[in-house]
Amino acid sequence: MLASGVTDYAAINARVRVMYATLYTPQDLAVLGEAVDFPTLVGQLKHSPYGPYLERVSDKDLTPRRTVFQIKARVADQFASIIRMSPKQARQVLIQLFRYFEVDNLKAVLRGIVTGASWDRVRFVLFPPSTITNIPAQAMVEAGSIGAAVELLRGTPYYETLSHAMKRYSAEQNLFPLEVALDLDYWRSLWKETNNLPAEDRTQGLRVVGTLIDITNLMWAIRYREYHHISEEELINYTLSFGYRVSDKDIRDIAAGADIAQVVKRVYPHLSDVDMLIQENHKNLPKLEIELKRHLMNQCKAVFVGSPFHIGLSLAYLMLTELEIQDLTVLIEAKSSHTPDDEFRQYLL
Amino acid sequence: MFYPQAMTEVELIIPSRDLLDVTKVLSGQGIFHQADSSYMTVKNNESGAASNWQEKASAYAALERHIQSIMLALSMDEGQPVKKEFESLTELDKVRPVVDDIEKEVKQTSDQMNAEHKKLELVESNIRQLEPVAEIDLDISALRSPRYLFSMLGLLPVANIERLQTSLERIPNVFLTLRQDNQKAVVWLTGSQNNADILERAARSAYLNPLTLPEGYQGTPGKIIQSLHDAVGETQREIKELKETVVAQHNAYVKQLQALLWDVRASRMLTDAIVRFGQLRYTYLIVGWVPTRYLDDFTERIKAVSKDSIIESFTTKRGGDNQAVPVALDNPRFLNPFQSLVTTYGRPRYGEIDPTWLMTIMFPLLFGAMFGDLGQGLVLAGLGWLLSSRKVKALNSMAGLGGVVMACGLVAAFFGLMYGSFFGFEDVIPALWMQPINNIMTILKIAIGAGLILLNIAFLLGIYNAYVARDWGHFFFDHNGLAGLVLYWGLLGLLGKAGSSFLGLSIPVPTIVFIVLAVVGGFAVTLSEVFKHLIEGHRPLIEGGIATYAIQAFFELFESLVSYLSNSLSFVRVGAFAVAHGGLSSAIFILAALMGGNTHGLGYWLVVIIGNIFITGFEGLIVGIQTMRLSYYEMFSKFFTGGGTRYEPLALYPSKEN
Repeated sequence: MLASGVTDYAAINARVRVMYATLYTPQDLAVLGEAVDFPTLVGQLKHSPYGPYLERVSDKDLTPRRTVFQIKARVADQFASIIRMSPKQARQVLIQLFRYFEVDNLKAVLRGIVTGASWDRVRFVLFPPSTITNIPAQAMVEAGSIGAAVELLRGTPYYETLSHAMKRYSAEQNLFPLEVALDLDYWRSLWKETNNLPAEDRTQGLRVVGTLIDITNLMWAIRYREYHHISEEELINYTLSFGYRVSDKDIRDIAAGADIAQVVKRVYPHLSDVDMLIQENHKNLPKLEIELKRHLMNQCKAVFVGSPFHIGLSLAYLMLTELEIQDLTVLIEAKSSHTPDDEFRQYLL
Repeated sequence: MFYPQAMTEVELIIPSRDLLDVTKVLSGQGIFHQADSSYMTVKNNESGAASNWQEKASAYAALERHIQSIMLALSMDEGQPVKKEFESLTELDKVRPVVDDIEKEVKQTSDQMNAEHKKLELVESNIRQLEPVAEIDLDISALRSPRYLFSMLGLLPVANIERLQTSLERIPNVFLTLRQDNQKAVVWLTGSQNNADILERAARSAYLNPLTLPEGYQGTPGKIIQSLHDAVGETQREIKELKETVVAQHNAYVKQLQALLWDVRASRMLTDAIVRFGQLRYTYLIVGWVPTRYLDDFTERIKAVSKDSIIESFTTKRGGDNQAVPVALDNPRFLNPFQSLVTTYGRPRYGEIDPTWLMTIMFPLLFGAMFGDLGQGLVLAGLGWLLSSRKVKALNSMAGLGGVVMACGLVAAFFGLMYGSFFGFEDVIPALWMQPINNIMTILKIAIGAGLILLNIAFLLGIYNAYVARDWGHFFFDHNGLAGLVLYWGLLGLLGKAGSSFLGLSIPVPTIVFIVLAVVGGFAVTLSEVFKHLIEGHRPLIEGGIATYAIQAFFELFESLVSYLSNSLSFVRVGAFAVAHGGLSSAIFILAALMGGNTHGLGYWLVVIIGNIFITGFEGLIVGIQTMRLSYYEMFSKFFTGGGTRYEPLALYPSKEN
């Protein structure tokens, strides 16, 4: 088993480690944060691995939205490159992880249809098209109705889920049921694919994927209760029953009205100031989410220590790249809207 | 033939009373290309005529759409115009009621048909919903409105079953999975009516889609499905009867509607044309172009219907700004396939040489030289004939290419004779000239030589076009103009001198002459922008500073040099493909020998035949693409700009491409 792990992952391990070295360090991000304005920030990014992607667009077209779009194009390429080099058993999980962006694209497309936005308005909000998987986004936007757009998804993994949820959309005329159905299906598939991996891959894969699922599920449960005030039975149906650290019992406790701070402390005893983060829920929930993402980031970095011949490295690197994009998006938005330093820095991971 | 047809610009001023007669002549001849002169319209003209015509044009357009929608509902085609000549504008007040009556009748049938289709769709949907529970022996009509129980029968994603049960752990309920496949399950959820709200919320949030039980049906699902199938049969019978009614209506109205459509369409086109006239107080101003050769006939016809009209004509010169002049290509019919190749690249401008004749000669020659084989060439010629004859319906869409394929095939056959190649056999017929595969260097040299001749022709044509257009900046200093040609000759001479021993040539011109040519040409090309600005009176002579200009000029000169070199060497491919053709044939024979041994049995001939089909199809396609590339990129880019305005004469019944 070990021997096959070495042969399967030797090349991809070397490649991922090289890519890992190109990620921004906290010091680099601090320097970027000191850029006086948006054009200066773009100028600095042009001297980074994102440079070639930004150079594809003329300066006058590099709006903040377009800049984020170009930066994301690098992530798409990295996914494609890693998936291509990965052993067969790992590919399915990596492709499923990539579908995370596709699900986001689907939601953006559906929102675009509902608001009557043109394709030109929608296209740069989306994650850039890739060679891995693709949905007919433009045709969907141009289809003009949610029903017709869903029909265009025939043959994709989303059709069954969405066509079943369409009955609720037709009755409620609200995208919420479609988006929840997409999310639930996505995370269940990712969990299932990760559990189907061979032993060592499964252990390392669940460490990364499971942590991500935990954070997502926990934040859903808290938001459903605190923001949407939905009933216990609805909350349970709109969340996941599995996780790495977050168990079904934790979610059911939150649904049943238990003290959220106690549940969070039980799951993540190392987190400090949980009471403060939960007390003023509405105000501090984004901060709680950032703390949880920092935990995910640490989990991902920890994967790089120890035996490297498993899927964990690829998953961890791709996750770190996605987190880096989130940081860069914060910086781009802050610099383009001239947000003061102390306001945006707290949102950096 | 070498230029688009000569056009004359005409301006007509006609009295209001002759408006319709003149418009009929203009649109009836199919030679008048109208220009929009409505901007000349005077406000407050005679009784607001301008807006009247606009309204009429809109009314005809609406009626035309109306008729088309009826024809569409009756699956009717538009047919052909019955009348040869336009008589008078359709009277809207008379035609509208007729169209309305037909529409009323057709709409009634069409509405009934739609209703039946919707009914069928609903019944079929009910069947699909009930099919999963078809085997349940239970009167489900009893579940429709239970008094004390909450009951929901429906479809649920399998992945949600466990979550739904968890969410109802604290609520008394009965949850049964009646049937399940990989993705969906048919489930029945029931509980106390007191907990209906919670049960309903849980079911909804778990995406349990309730099955809609059709009203009026009783019994078990199996019995209901049977009743629904009966209803499907009944509805289909209704639809069949309605279809027969549609066919009857089609037959009853087809001629009337087609005639009406063409009448209304002609009226619409006529009024559209009038809307684009300049409408003065008591007269109309009409502007457009006619081919010069038809001018006298055109004038006579106008005068015949409007004696008081004033006709001014202006001969249009080839030179100067003639972008707006419509371009009617003037080639014999048999050149149409090659004309299509030219217009695919671009429509010549009015003052530009029409390269169709050059394409007609050059394209088959280059193709034939690359694909020289007597047998395969004749097969291609036959295929071309088959395409253009339209004898095979499936090939009709490619009929336009037939002429090109036939010409290419015949020239390929000629080169096959020259090369001594027959279906790939190099020893069946004697080579009247040489076998490329045995004379590789010779054929490559000849290919480059022929390319140089063609490139020089392209240079000269470009220079001539610039002369005709009086574009002196381009004529003298452009890298495809005189300066470019001088530089090209200088470079060719220097290269020729350097490689004369290799090429086996003796050039009796001193090297210094070529050096002078190259330096003078290079200098002129480098400073072309300055010289052009000088000639055109454009100031400043240099835009963006001398340093920037120097860098830009250097790279432009460099690019020109590289393109001259690549354009010239590009023609090597002609020789290379001639050689490759022989090589490919040899490979086929080696394979055939492997299959059939030395006995030349069935296997041998099978491989030879399949190989020949492959070469004719695959290599023919590649050589065709290469020929296209040489024509468009190496040749046309030197002298042909394109972008001419298409000649679209006014006609009541739209004509095909001129």
